Amino acid sequence: MDGGNSNQQGMHTTPFTAPPRQEMEYICADCGVKNEIKAREPIRCRECGHRIMYKKRTTRMVQFEAR
Amino acid sequence: METPTEEEWAQINKPNWRGLGLTDPVKSVEDKWLLLPAFLKTKGLVKQHIDSFNFFVNTDIKNIVKANNKVTSDIDPKFWLKYTDINIGFPDRNESGISQKRLTPNECRLRDITYSAPIVVTIQYTRGKNIIKRTANIGRMPIMLRSSKCYLTGRSEDELASMKECPLDPGGYFVVKGTEKVILVQEQLSKNRIIVETDTTKGIVQASCTSSTHGGLKSKTYVVTKKGKIYLRHNSCHEDIPIAIALKALGVQSDKEILLLTAGTTDSYKDAFATNLEEAAKLAVYTRQQALDYIGVRVKINRRVIGPRRPAWEEALEALSTIILAHVPVNGLDFRGKAIFVAMMTRRVLMAMDDEKMVDDRDYVGNKRLELAGQLLALLFEDLFKTYNTNLKSSIDKVLKKPSRTTEFDAHNTLLFNGDILTSGFVRAISTGNWSLKRFKMERAGVTHVLSRLSFISALGMMTRISSQFEKTRKVSGPRALQPSQWGMLCPSDTPEGEACGLVKNLALMTHITTDVEEEPIVRLAFMLGIEDISQATGAEIYGPNTFVVNVNGTIVGLTRHAPRFVAQFRRMRRASRVSEFVSVYTNHHHKAIHIASDGGRICRPMIIVDKGRPRVTAQHVALLRKGSMSFDDFLKKGLVEYLDVNEENDSYIALYEDSIVPLTTHLEIEPFTILGAVAGLIPYPHHNQSPRNTYQCAMGKQAIGAIGYNQFNRIDTLLYLSVYPQQPMVKTKTIELVGYDKLPAGQNATVAVMSYSGYDIEDALILNKASLDRGYGRCQVLRKNATLIRKYPNGTYDRLADAPKDEYTGQTQKKYDIVQLDGLAGVGERVDPGDVYVNKQSPTNANDNTFNGQAASVPFKNAPLTYKSPVAGNIDQILITDTENDQTLIKVLIRQTRRPELGDKFSSRHGQKGVCGLIVNQEDMPFNDQGIVPDTIMNPHGFPSRMTVGKMIELLAGKAGVLSGKLQYGTAFGGSKVEDMSRILIENGFSYSGKDMLTSGITGEPMEAYVYFGPIYYQKLKHMVMDKMHARARGPRATLTRQPTEGRSREGGLRLGEMERDCLIGYGATQLLLERLMISSDKFEVNACQECGLMGYNGWCSYCKSSKKVASLTIPYAAKLLFQELMAMNVVPRLVLDDA
Repeated sequence: MDGGNSNQQGMHTTPFTAPPRQEMEYICADCGVKNEIKAREPIRCRECGHRIMYKKRTTRMVQFEAR
Repeated sequence: METPTEEEWAQINKPNWRGLGLTDPVKSVEDKWLLLPAFLKTKGLVKQHIDSFNFFVNTDIKNIVKANNKVTSDIDPKFWLKYTDINIGFPDRNESGISQKRLTPNECRLRDITYSAPIVVTIQYTRGKNIIKRTANIGRMPIMLRSSKCYLTGRSEDELASMKECPLDPGGYFVVKGTEKVILVQEQLSKNRIIVETDTTKGIVQASCTSSTHGGLKSKTYVVTKKGKIYLRHNSCHEDIPIAIALKALGVQSDKEILLLTAGTTDSYKDAFATNLEEAAKLAVYTRQQALDYIGVRVKINRRVIGPRRPAWEEALEALSTIILAHVPVNGLDFRGKAIFVAMMTRRVLMAMDDEKMVDDRDYVGNKRLELAGQLLALLFEDLFKTYNTNLKSSIDKVLKKPSRTTEFDAHNTLLFNGDILTSGFVRAISTGNWSLKRFKMERAGVTHVLSRLSFISALGMMTRISSQFEKTRKVSGPRALQPSQWGMLCPSDTPEGEACGLVKNLALMTHITTDVEEEPIVRLAFMLGIEDISQATGAEIYGPNTFVVNVNGTIVGLTRHAPRFVAQFRRMRRASRVSEFVSVYTNHHHKAIHIASDGGRICRPMIIVDKGRPRVTAQHVALLRKGSMSFDDFLKKGLVEYLDVNEENDSYIALYEDSIVPLTTHLEIEPFTILGAVAGLIPYPHHNQSPRNTYQCAMGKQAIGAIGYNQFNRIDTLLYLSVYPQQPMVKTKTIELVGYDKLPAGQNATVAVMSYSGYDIEDALILNKASLDRGYGRCQVLRKNATLIRKYPNGTYDRLADAPKDEYTGQTQKKYDIVQLDGLAGVGERVDPGDVYVNKQSPTNANDNTFNGQAASVPFKNAPLTYKSPVAGNIDQILITDTENDQTLIKVLIRQTRRPELGDKFSSRHGQKGVCGLIVNQEDMPFNDQGIVPDTIMNPHGFPSRMTVGKMIELLAGKAGVLSGKLQYGTAFGGSKVEDMSRILIENGFSYSGKDMLTSGITGEPMEAYVYFGPIYYQKLKHMVMDKMHARARGPRATLTRQPTEGRSREGGLRLGEMERDCLIGYGATQLLLERLMISSDKFEVNACQECGLMGYNGWCSYCKSSKKVASLTIPYAAKLLFQELMAMNVVPRLVLDDA
């Protein structure tokens, strides 16, 4: 939720080289609204106040072995 | 045909042949079994648990509060606080500012929180000179699902679906910290009843009675024989008290009266008792005062308050009135009732001395009581509430002690600030299962269990389970044996094998467990029906001919001279709903007593009342039931059906079928298959199977992989097995439809050929068709939860999630971070390969350093990722992010594997016939019939002769007929589709009536030499799969302490050469092999030992002798070296004596 690795890998990777980060989207388990989750903030749907979020499915292609 | 003889005609024309005349109509109530679904509709499958909890939450809790309703202060005598009422609310979110206050069970499961509701009390207390009345929230109580305080109760399927709940889920369990917990039913010996037993080896007869009053302590009182004399024994007395003295102390002073009350007028009893009167005289106890003095000096005194010593006789009075047989009421100093009770116990001992058959059976189900969730929670609540009140009192005292206060003291604030004794007490007890209530001398572990969700049936089976308090190690067969009185109450088939066999039982389908019913109205009714007060009676009357003593819940209240009339009238009142339907009344002719029971925990079941040879339920009633204009409760209210407990059942004459009703019949069974439980009810044609096979199936049905609930994809359980294409069985039973197994099945209808094929089908192995596997036969999914907390530490630091680290030079991410996205979590749906990271968590290095107070972000972090460990790839199914109750972020990752059957996977039919897959054969090599049908499975016929599972054969026949006619067939116990009808369907469809087909070999192409029994059988895939068990190791990790290979598959452990294997090698003399297995390949270790002193040195130097002269190097197991050193640490010197081999 917070890109901690720029710190971890060493301080010389300056912040401006990091790609512009778009926040990940999560779906409220109750009303289905898209939400963003910020680090160290309570998880709560901005619409209904529900406290469970699911991560959205990846946009990458997933290949299954049909056996 | 022969013409009937004269005699036979006379027989037939007799007006009362079995109570019927020739012209009487043929009685039959078609479909009276419809009462069963009606019963289950009003009560549900786990009504025992839910009723018990409802009773606690709505009634019992108020009584407990009423008994402990006042808190006073030692400091300010004017202060008081009184609880006037208590109510349990509905489960809500324990946080402010939320529009949606409702808390659903599924949210609790997902968020790892407790499904609990606030406990609200109404209080009255003094504030200064005023009396304030208000409500206060004193804690939270976990709520049983589907109880009257649960949101799920009375909801439609749509509403349940919107709450992500399965309509078929029975409820009856709790959700505590996200886990589903069941309080199992506990079996106990009944309280407040006299049990007479003999010890034939020692020649002892004893009558014992465990007294238990509401909220009081339990204590056991005995009346025992010792050297032919009778004594009263109780824990509170140092020594046994001669019975005559005890009775004298209880106010029966004259010897004549004692003799009358105990022995009555029977000469043999008189002779046996006389010696006891002599004993009292020998001890010079003649009067009541002397008796009290005698007892008084033998009573254990444990008084906390130090006051003036009371005289002995006062101690005796106190002990006799409050401690000994505490359940028998003593009003003021009127000991008459208790005296008669003791006399009655004595008489029972005399009877058993005279005739050894007059003893009670403690395994008789009528002498048992079942303790349910409600009762256990009530005890827990009472304990916690008392603790709460003492804490409240001490904190009130603390405030009142201060000489001056700025504001007027308001007890309400103290009440609210008084911690969460109740909340945490409940959660702790239910989640650990430890009921340790010092106050009630109760110390029980393992009361709760995690609800098993392997399959729908395993969850259901757990809800009906009864655990016994008996020790498992004891080698007595009595408690384990099948009791005839279990009939219809407890399932005869469903019990585990092995050590808990017969101790763990299951409820039958129609049983109900009673809750407490108020006693006073029943006593009043009994008096109105004309019983005489017992305290007015002497022994001559009590034991007179035709007199019956009337007991209510074990206490003697009166006597009647018209026992049959009294019992009949009482029953009439019950059938007219004037008393609760769960009050039982029965006559015990041996003891000449009528027992009325209204206590909780009795097992009972409904039965149709039969009147003058006709069942009261008629075809019209069933028609009304079918139309829905009558419910089961209407049947009860109209007095057509009534509940009988085990004791009353024993006093009734119950017809199994309608045609066996005779004039004496009192009741008719609703349906014979209800003697089985929910789990055994899944077996088709169980009445054709050898009985242990049904028991085996009961154990295996709980391991079958299938659907577990409509909400199975919304659940995130630690481990979940799901079948990909579950099917409902071709051969159903009525039980299957009633419990909903046809909607949540666990198995598939496999076409089975019963024949031998290759050699890979020996020892019950099955041959599977590869094409069937390709089409999805036996395919299952394994979903595993992996959870982690993103914690905030007390020193201000926190865990974090990091994106995949990039290589400094190439900018590439490592392969194992492939699926980790920018938020540090794997993409949902991505494939996870062994070793992949799916949650890239990092923890601060100084998380536990509480002295730290710098910038949290500047702290160095260490990696703490979650990596995928299974050897087979899976897919990320769901990732859930939420907050727990104490605001820590919780991440749950669900990983899914899809598995097709492989060699070694375990399957079983519904008849206790398990087997592993021995070979997977290409479809073209399988045999086929003339329609080209190829079996899914080939089963070896050797499985039949010794197992005698005829039910399986009939299942095949009925299944085949069902397939051909396009209908589902029934294999209900003691009924079901008839073999003859099935054969007819087969013939109509051009098949052999016997179910055998002509098959052609797929290998040779030639017709088979024999006809093969061929058709569908319902097969279950069991959770034991080779993939989870397969394990081998050459070299690998070792334990640090002993340097031996680790143990167990999960630690990649070694394969043990155990002690019995070792014995074989020793016996054979294979020393070198032994040496290699036990030392060289395990924990060999080079040590330097000194030949001089026999101690171990190092580097060729003996530090004891300060010399390297005689040091030798040798190889020993590291564990041996460790042992020597540990012995030395204990001041024992082991010396090595070296010799040339």
